[in-house]
Amino acid sequence: MAEPVISLRNLGKRFGNFEAVRGLTFNICPGVIFGFLGANGAGKTTTMRMLCGLTRPTTGSATIAGGDVWRKRNIVRSKFGYVAQRFSLYRDLTVVENFRFFAGAHRVPAREVEGRIARLLRLTDLEKKRDDAAGSLSGGMRQLLALGCAMIHDPPLLFLDEPTSGLDPVHRQRIWDLLYDLSNRGITIFVTTHYMDEAERCTEVGFLAEGKLLANATPRALIHSFRVPLLELNIEPVMPALVRFRDAPGVLGVSLRSGQLRVYSAEPKRLLEQWKTQWPFPDLKLNGERWVEPDMEDVFTAYSQGYSVMLEDGDSERSEDTPEKVGLKETLRDPSTSLGMTR
Amino acid sequence: MINVSVGAVWSVARKEFLHIVRDRRVLILLLILPPLFTLIFGHAFESGDPTDVPALLINRDATEQTQRFIDIAKKNKTFAWRIASPETRNAADLIGHHVQAAVVIPPGWSASLSNGNPQPVQVYLDGADTNTAEQLQGALQQSLAEFQMAERQVTIDALPAEVFDLGEKLPVQVRKQFTSMMEAWGVDAHILYNPKSRFIDYVTPGIIGLILQLLTVTLMACTIARERESGTLYQLMVTSLRRGEIVLGKVIPYLAISAVIILLIVLLVALHFHVRFYSPVVLAVICLLFLLCSLGLGLVISAISRTQTQAIQFSVFFLLPVFVLSGAFAPLEHLPAFIQWVAEIFPLTHFCRAFRLVNLYQAGPSFYGGDLLVLTVGVVVTFVGAAFLLRRIEQ
Repeated sequence: MAEPVISLRNLGKRFGNFEAVRGLTFNICPGVIFGFLGANGAGKTTTMRMLCGLTRPTTGSATIAGGDVWRKRNIVRSKFGYVAQRFSLYRDLTVVENFRFFAGAHRVPAREVEGRIARLLRLTDLEKKRDDAAGSLSGGMRQLLALGCAMIHDPPLLFLDEPTSGLDPVHRQRIWDLLYDLSNRGITIFVTTHYMDEAERCTEVGFLAEGKLLANATPRALIHSFRVPLLELNIEPVMPALVRFRDAPGVLGVSLRSGQLRVYSAEPKRLLEQWKTQWPFPDLKLNGERWVEPDMEDVFTAYSQGYSVMLEDGDSERSEDTPEKVGLKETLRDPSTSLGMTR
Repeated sequence: MINVSVGAVWSVARKEFLHIVRDRRVLILLLILPPLFTLIFGHAFESGDPTDVPALLINRDATEQTQRFIDIAKKNKTFAWRIASPETRNAADLIGHHVQAAVVIPPGWSASLSNGNPQPVQVYLDGADTNTAEQLQGALQQSLAEFQMAERQVTIDALPAEVFDLGEKLPVQVRKQFTSMMEAWGVDAHILYNPKSRFIDYVTPGIIGLILQLLTVTLMACTIARERESGTLYQLMVTSLRRGEIVLGKVIPYLAISAVIILLIVLLVALHFHVRFYSPVVLAVICLLFLLCSLGLGLVISAISRTQTQAIQFSVFFLLPVFVLSGAFAPLEHLPAFIQWVAEIFPLTHFCRAFRLVNLYQAGPSFYGGDLLVLTVGVVVTFVGAAFLLRRIEQ
């Protein structure tokens, strides 16, 4: 295995009495698109800001390309680009002026600046907007510009904090096409997101909840970590069913997918048989059922809601494509990670 | 902070300059307001002494001698007299009469002057503003003295010949003494350092300093706070820029614009008010140190404020005592010793003093060296302090 680009060792951050990030330990290898998932307030942004040398870790350490992210931050900074969650370029400056400023700020040699700007304008498709104020661009274009400015110094690593939040599907696709393009050129990408379809596009995914890493594996390994199949019911009327099923015995939780009720349960087959013998909801009509493959949304639900009984232990035979799989069930069984809605 | 790259500083400076140019309203304010303020302040303080002060004259002693006094008083440019009827009773009601002074000549006044028991003239003065009352009293006293000298001549001219015969019999020494006593003793005043006695010459550094203090502190205080507010500061921190480069890059454009503003004010003051400027090089050095000191203060305020609103609030709270206590418009020496010590903290105090020592007193470096030293210390302290405070951003 190649030398990791990013290496976290027990990295933690405490704000007063609040532990935002607790002892993260994992590696990210070159060329990986690492999706960092977690609910709002899970500690994703704090972790990213520690890795960028913007905030000082209170415990542990992390390195980027071998350099400590805090002590050697002035050197490490040349090795990555960072796109913050909030649009943080200069709105009153034009597209080209923003590029020029960040080129100067990153000490790009003067003779290379214009060439790089031309290349990045093509890559981000902003050639026609080159003399428009950054503040006048649409959300998608702003994000492309932010991405372009983060790459002006040709960094081998990119940190992107929710780069597609608030964007329409077309621009989300545009951004992801660009990320794949960059990944193909060997650039490592560390991205946080709320969108589960985006998580599936990552080559590796880390789940963060209350500052703790619950899982770190490929999306495929995570999907395969379901021990039991998922049951989808066609019920009429579906909205009252959503409420009624939530509290039904044997059901961990439910979610609505394209009008179908998806049931999370440790023993769905037994549950279905039981329902078929005696349907406990006389006011609801069961039209049919089918077995479905879990997707990342289900993985996220299972991890964030703590449905550990649905998941396999980390030592399953499928885990060979899992670079670093944290003991999933161990983490979930740990009483310190009470995840609120666990039943 | 040691390996500062010119290119990096320049890229920050260029960006900062673009911010100023793009914000048309601020740019127009920067170029229009300082000259406008200079014109207004300059004319406001053009002449130091009051003229044409509305005053009421009530003459209850209609004699030829009294009329001679009134004629002399009317020549005094300080007052614009209004003659009221002798029956006017409420002379002390100054605001009722819309005047700042009222003079009452009592009945039998001229007679009292001749019978060896001169009566005083009753004067009522508006003392709300302490300076005005004193100046008015002085002006009136002057008219009265003039009248007294004129009357003495009248008396001497009217003396019978025997008096002169008698006088010639007196010893020479006594005669000389007597003649001396009859003359008004005077001073031969040489007004130095501001020979034309124009307030504008005194107040020029106050105007320049005040306008620049206001602009530099508030504008500079907003720059870093603005980046913090808009989130661009973090973007700035992940670049290879060092703190020193960011600070230098932010100071340079404001220094350049301040220099242009100083030039505009100096040209206006020189051409319009005919104020002369001596040793331009020394004055430029004083201005530069003062500007750096103000920009450093702005940086410190910027480093401790989270938003632009806070930065403006901090600036106003700092600038308020500076405006009142720095000696920009009135000499510090008139203030109590304790306040004078407080005033020594403000860069504007040292700027005004040094500027006046050079431009009014034409004094040498041994006189203003101390002020330059204080300003230099101020520059170092504020810049080091700002760099230190900016460290906190990274934590």
